[in-house]
This record gives sequence, C-alpha cells and structure tokens, in this order.
Amino acid sequence: MKQNYDFDIGKIKNLSQEEKVSRQKNLDLFYEYGFPSKQVEDWKFTDLNLILNKNFDNISNEVNFESSKEFKAIENFEHNFIFLTNGKIISTNFGHEEKSKILIEDYNQEEVKNIDPSNTLALLNSALSFGGFSLEIAKGYKFKKPLIVYNCFSQDLKNKILNNKNSIKLNEGSELTLIDYSDNNTQNNFIKNTVDTIFLNKNAVLKNVLIQNSKSNGHFYKYIKGSLEGDSNYENYILSSGLKLNKIEIEINLNKDNSSCSIYSALNLLEDQHQEIKTRINHNSPNCKSYQKIKNVLNDKSKGIYQGKIFVEKIAQKTDAYQLSKALIVSDNAEFDAKPELEIYADDVRCSHGSTSGSIDSDAVHYLMTRGISKKESVKLLINGFLNEVLEKITHNELKIFLEKILEKQINGH
Amino acid sequence: MKNQDLNINKEYEYGFTTDIESIRAPKGLNEDTIKFISNIKKEPKWMLDWRLKAFNRLSSLKEPNWQKPKYPKINYQNLYYYSAPKSSSEKPKSLDEIDPKILETYKKLGIPLVEQQRLNGIAVDAVFDSVSVATTFKDELTKKGIIFCSISEAIQEHPDLVKKYLGSVIPLSDHYFATLNSAVFTDGSFVYIPPNTRCPMELSTYFRINASETGQFERTLIIADKGSYVSYLEGCTAPMRDENQLHAANVELIALDDAEIKYSTVQNWYPGDKNGVGGIYNFVTKRGACRGKNSKISWTQVETGSAITWKYPSCILQGDNSVGEFYSIAITNNYQKADTGTKMIHLGKNTKSKIISKGISAGNADNTYRGLVDINKKATNSRNYTQCDSLLMGNKCGAHTVPYIKNKNSTSTIEHEATTTKINEEQLYYCNQRGLDQEEAVSLIVNGFCKEVLQQLPMEFAVEAQKLVAISLEGSVG
Repeated sequence: MKQNYDFDIGKIKNLSQEEKVSRQKNLDLFYEYGFPSKQVEDWKFTDLNLILNKNFDNISNEVNFESSKEFKAIENFEHNFIFLTNGKIISTNFGHEEKSKILIEDYNQEEVKNIDPSNTLALLNSALSFGGFSLEIAKGYKFKKPLIVYNCFSQDLKNKILNNKNSIKLNEGSELTLIDYSDNNTQNNFIKNTVDTIFLNKNAVLKNVLIQNSKSNGHFYKYIKGSLEGDSNYENYILSSGLKLNKIEIEINLNKDNSSCSIYSALNLLEDQHQEIKTRINHNSPNCKSYQKIKNVLNDKSKGIYQGKIFVEKIAQKTDAYQLSKALIVSDNAEFDAKPELEIYADDVRCSHGSTSGSIDSDAVHYLMTRGISKKESVKLLINGFLNEVLEKITHNELKIFLEKILEKQINGH
Repeated sequence: MKNQDLNINKEYEYGFTTDIESIRAPKGLNEDTIKFISNIKKEPKWMLDWRLKAFNRLSSLKEPNWQKPKYPKINYQNLYYYSAPKSSSEKPKSLDEIDPKILETYKKLGIPLVEQQRLNGIAVDAVFDSVSVATTFKDELTKKGIIFCSISEAIQEHPDLVKKYLGSVIPLSDHYFATLNSAVFTDGSFVYIPPNTRCPMELSTYFRINASETGQFERTLIIADKGSYVSYLEGCTAPMRDENQLHAANVELIALDDAEIKYSTVQNWYPGDKNGVGGIYNFVTKRGACRGKNSKISWTQVETGSAITWKYPSCILQGDNSVGEFYSIAITNNYQKADTGTKMIHLGKNTKSKIISKGISAGNADNTYRGLVDINKKATNSRNYTQCDSLLMGNKCGAHTVPYIKNKNSTSTIEHEATTTKINEEQLYYCNQRGLDQEEAVSLIVNGFCKEVLQQLPMEFAVEAQKLVAISLEGSVG
C-alpha cells in the first residue's frame, strides 16, 4: 500500500518557471520508485516504505517557516551559532569570529540540480528543497570557537516532510568545528530529509558533530557528501540517539593525496528507535587514510544498523583504511545488523574491518556488583565506558567535556 | 620484483578431451528434454512429476543479478542437458566392464579407480558428463549398511529416503539455478549413513565435463542418521574449450542428532585461457541442515578453477548445540571471477559457527567474499566467528568483502574480522635470501596464508590442494 503523498512544488515560494520544470522532473522520477523498501540493497535493513506506511497517514510538504523565532542557546559553552527553524535560517551570530572571513547565506535554490536516480530520497530532496544554508570560510581562517547549527522545529509538523540542502565550503587551510544540534520535543511524526554538501580545500580541517538533544518522533534522513582535497581532514562524531528513525548516510571522496577522514559514532538506542549509519569512503587517490569506529548500545526493541563500505581505486596505493563496528545488545528484543564492506582494486594497501556484537560481559557486571554497585548502575557504568571511548580522540578539552555531557544525557535516556 | 626469472603460466593440466561416443538428449530446455532424461533413467512417475513441477516454476523465476561477476546471457535452448558415454548405457557391474578410455581419463586426472580402490581405501563415485560411471568399494560399505550410489540408482532402490529428503534443504524452486537443477539434474551421488555408524573410509566423487555444449547438473544428497559420521570428498575437472560451459549443481546435506558430515571440495574446472576466453560457469547451490541436536556440518573448499565461481555452501543450524563450519580458499588468476562465501543461519539454542575464508586474487581477476551470519531471536547463547582475509597480487585485480551480519538476541556473540593486504616484501626477501626463487617463495607464503584451511582437508586432498595453489598462481607475480 502506498501512502498518500501530497507533494506539490507549487507550495515552494519564489521559484522561476525553469526551476519548477527541473524540480518536477526530479519529483516524477521519485514517484517512479517511491520511498525505498528493503528490496533496495542500500535500504536492506531499513524498510523505509514500510515504516512510513505504519506511521504516516499522508505526507505533505506544506510547511510554515516563520512560526518559531525563539530558542534556548546552550549555556557555559562559548560558541557561534546559526539558528534554523524547519531548516530555514532565522538568525546567525558569529560574535567570536572575524566576520569578513565568513560568508553565510540562504542556500541558493537555483543550484538545485538533478541527482542520480539511485538515491530516491535525494531526488525528492531536489524536488522539494527549501531553506537550508551555505557557509564558506575564507582561506587560512581558523574558527576560534565552535559553530553550532541549532535545528529547531515548529509544533505543526504532523505528517509533514522537510527537505533542506546545506553547503559547507572550507577554503585552503581553514578550520571549523561544526555542531549540528537538533532539538525537538514534538510528539508529532514528521520527516526531515537533508542533503549536506561539504567541500574541503587543501589543508582544511572540519570537525562535524551530529547531536540530537531530545527524544523525538522525527524520522530523519541525512545524506552528507564530502569531497576532500590534498592534506585535508574530515572528522565526524555521531551522537544522535533519541530519534524514532534516523539514517545517516555519509559519502566521503578522498580525491587528493594525504587527505583523511574519520567517522565516530556512539549511540544508545531505547524503545523502538531505529538508527542506521551508512558510510561509503572512496579512496580515489594514493596515501589517503580513513578510520571508522561505530558503537551501538541496543535496549528494549531498538534496532541499530551499520553499513560501511571502503572503496579503493586502482591508483589509490598506500591506502590505510579501517572500519570497526561494535554493538552491545542489552535486550532480547533488540537487533543489530552490520554489513561492513570492502571493495579494493589496489594491491599495496592496508584495509581491514572488524565487527562484533554481543551481550554485556557478565563477569564485569559481577565484579562491579561485588564492589557494592547495584546491577543497574553497573550496567550503566559499563555502557558509559563502552560509548565514551569514541570521544577519546578529541583533543579540544572544552568540546570533549561538552560532548561527554551530551553522551551522558543520551545514556540516561534524555 | 621482475618477471624474467619466472616460468610462463602453466597450462591447465586437465584440458584434454576423451574421444568416446556419447548419447545426448536433444538440444534445448523443454518438457520433452526432461521426459527424455527421466525416461532414459527409467525413473518412477513421482520423480518425473517433481522435475516437471520444477520446470514449470522456472518460467516465473529470474536469473539472479546481484552477484558481482556479470556474465553474458546464457542461451538455455542451445545446451545439451544430458550426455552419457554410450558404453555405459548398460551399467557396468565391476570396474573391468568400464570403457577403458574412460578409465584412462580418470588415470590422467589422477584418480586411477583401481589403484585408489586398492591403496587408499577411498570409495569413489565418478560422474562423467552426466552419468555416474563407477562406484568402487560397494560391497564393504553395504556390509555396514551404508548406501553409497548414484542418485539415479537411489531413486530406483531407495525411493523412500529420496522422497523424504530430496528438496528438503534446497526447496524445489529456491532460486533460478537450483530450480533448473531440480528440473534437469542428470546424476550425482547419494549417501546414507545408518544410525551410530562411522563410515570407515572417505567417500569421494569425481566430476568431469567432457562433451561440448553440455551443461552439467548433478545432484548430491547426503544423509547422516543419528550418531553417524561421514567424510565426503568432491573433485572436478573439465576439458579446455573456448566456449563457456554451465555447471549448476545442487548439494544437500542432512545431519540428524549427534551426526557429523564433513564435505570437502577441490574445484578445478577449466578456468578459461589467459585472456578470459572459455571456462566453466560454476553456479552451485550447496546447503546443509543440522536438523538434530549436537549435529555438525563442516564445509571445506578449495576453489581454483572456473571462469566464474558463484557458490555459498551454507548451514542451517536448526538443532540445539549444532555446529556449522566453513573453510574456504578461493584463488583467482587471469580473468577469473569468484563470488563465494557462506550462510550461517542460527535457529537452535547454543549453536556455533566458524567461517575462515582466504581469497587470493592475481592478474585481472576479481575475488569476492559474500556471507551471511544470522542469529535468530530463539538461538540464545549462540556464537559466530568469521575471519576473511584477502591477498592481492598486482594492481589489476580486485578483492572484495561483503558480509551481512545480523544479531537478534542479547546472549549471542558475533565476531567478524577481515583484512586485505599484499604479500609482504620482507617475507619474500627473506625467502629469496635462503635460496628460494620468486615463484617458490610466493607459493610458500601463499600456502602459509591458507594453512588454516588446508589443514582441514583430508590427507590425500591436502597434498593435491597445495600443488593446485602453487600451479594456479604460477606466473602471477611480477
């Protein structure tokens, strides 16, 4: 059974006739495939069509972008911010930085083009995209404080879909810590479909953190596509526990020598939460490095998925690539699925992956209990230790403390 | 590394053809062909009905297209589905009655039936093109109540067993090639080990495709009754031809309470020439069911031949405490493509599985490990350990790993690791220093890389397999 789609390009303001035609093409193509089901290999473990059928009566893209103008900024943590409601910029603050080095504006909708049909959600995004931001950092400029992107949502999003595109460009030698901070405590079912395009020029460094601050009925899909030039570095930390459904798809292209990327994730899933992390690291050039460490704790009826692919081109000799996924299954109704994939065409490489899933070490629990700690606390302590490990690599102390707090909150179930 | 001091690629050793008259079914895949096969084998009606049912299902199935190696469309109407040496239409009673030419072929293959019978004490069932030519050691096995014969014979002599178990592990219309096999299978082996019996010798089958434009569709069914043990070996070769030949076999294993089946394969079908012309398409379905408590099925395979290998020997671990094992070496050279792995489906409590896969890729070849480990909700306290290592030689080949891992309960543990590397220069240098030439050094290192799997093979096979590993890679380092 198909949902009732109410997708109308006419509801998006200020589009030229030409744009409308191009968007309609994307929409028509999307209709041809619909939302992906488990028959689609990339969605094998997340039957989106089925999940949406269960939770949505109809889906519409008619969204009010002006409703909420207030939000609570995070205290005791110095930062710049971009404030978005339903994906559209409401206000920005770069108080800690040199403003001339930063270009921030609404995403230019004219740049929305046709994307290949293999990703149907990206097609839908191209058809219905609205809002979003473009950020560009000047050559050599290093951010003094992190930048938080507050994602807030209005209360009237029941059965709605948000489609945004963001673009982040770091010019040569620039550095930025970007925290994508999602805060929505709405009980309404809604869908957020985001496409982030990231470009790192030579020697640029981007730390990207994804945080979900509250329990939510949101169904999120985020597609991050990064292109890296020589000696640049991309790091991603995923701390997005709390969403009913979340799929983060990251595609990183290591296009020039000595570029590197790492992806870390720590998720503590409760109730019937369903989160998938899918990565594809394309080693297109020699001497590049990639590292992935994905950690999941699965409680109740939750389901965690990791699909990771390392792709090494023929010319990408001296590649060093690593993938590790670990899962703790705490409840008998929880499930963890993994598909760690290697596709390698160069011979002088070091590529490996590991994947484990299992229960909490009962000996360790016993040990803690003999020291007078209750069973519940012992388990929590072990979970904390298990997940906290992914933050070890962060050298920036303030950021580390901030993320540890976020993680603790997620472990306690918001 | 320089190429000059190396031998040129060693030719396929088993590429000869045997000049003997054969009986063939008319070309093409249709009901008449199936009736022809069934008729020539004097099969009972239920068997023919079974085949026709499979054939009817075939029209609604599509060839799978998810696997990595792609192949040109197979014209199923242009194949012979039955080819038998003429002289064997009257089944020989003893080895003396077998066409000497066939015996000579087997001698060339290195399985002199007579000699092997005497020296090794291995019972051999040899399948030539489509029919089983000889089964040695029958008497001794019969005394123990062990049934080891061709499947055609089993259909005549032991219909109850065949009816009960045939298609019980690989359903009639499982997927395209399995269904095709169900419709047109020509021969294969049948083994039944009675309760509490340990099969006193290794049972062995040798398969050979001789005639051109033929597909080989054999079907093997092994049943180990309660408390029994059997070790079964399978080897295959084919002559050199510049056309691609299809081999679509089905193998079903059933282990009841406390039974153990060990199934070893050395697959050396013709891999095609240096430019990737010709060779066998090896699309095989192998599946074992650990039905009973404490049962065990162990697959060991050495895959060196075939233009395309596409097989996933699997274990369905139904009985509590049952164990599944999979040891594999897949070597691809020139333009060979292999997409192989296993499925371990844990259904019973305390089930264990272990997967060791070694892939070696050279020349322009592509080698993929594809596997599934699925621990179900009720399979509490289960364990899986998977290790898949790939070795790359040269920068024109590819090595891929595609594991699917599913864990659905909190008391089970899955561990998976995989690595991809090339041969360590230092190891090579060390070997060279001690007077081994490049080729010997590579062979030594590769054999070491595969050791964990080679150790699992029965003695006679291990020697052959080690040689095969070396031969398959000759001329590939440079």
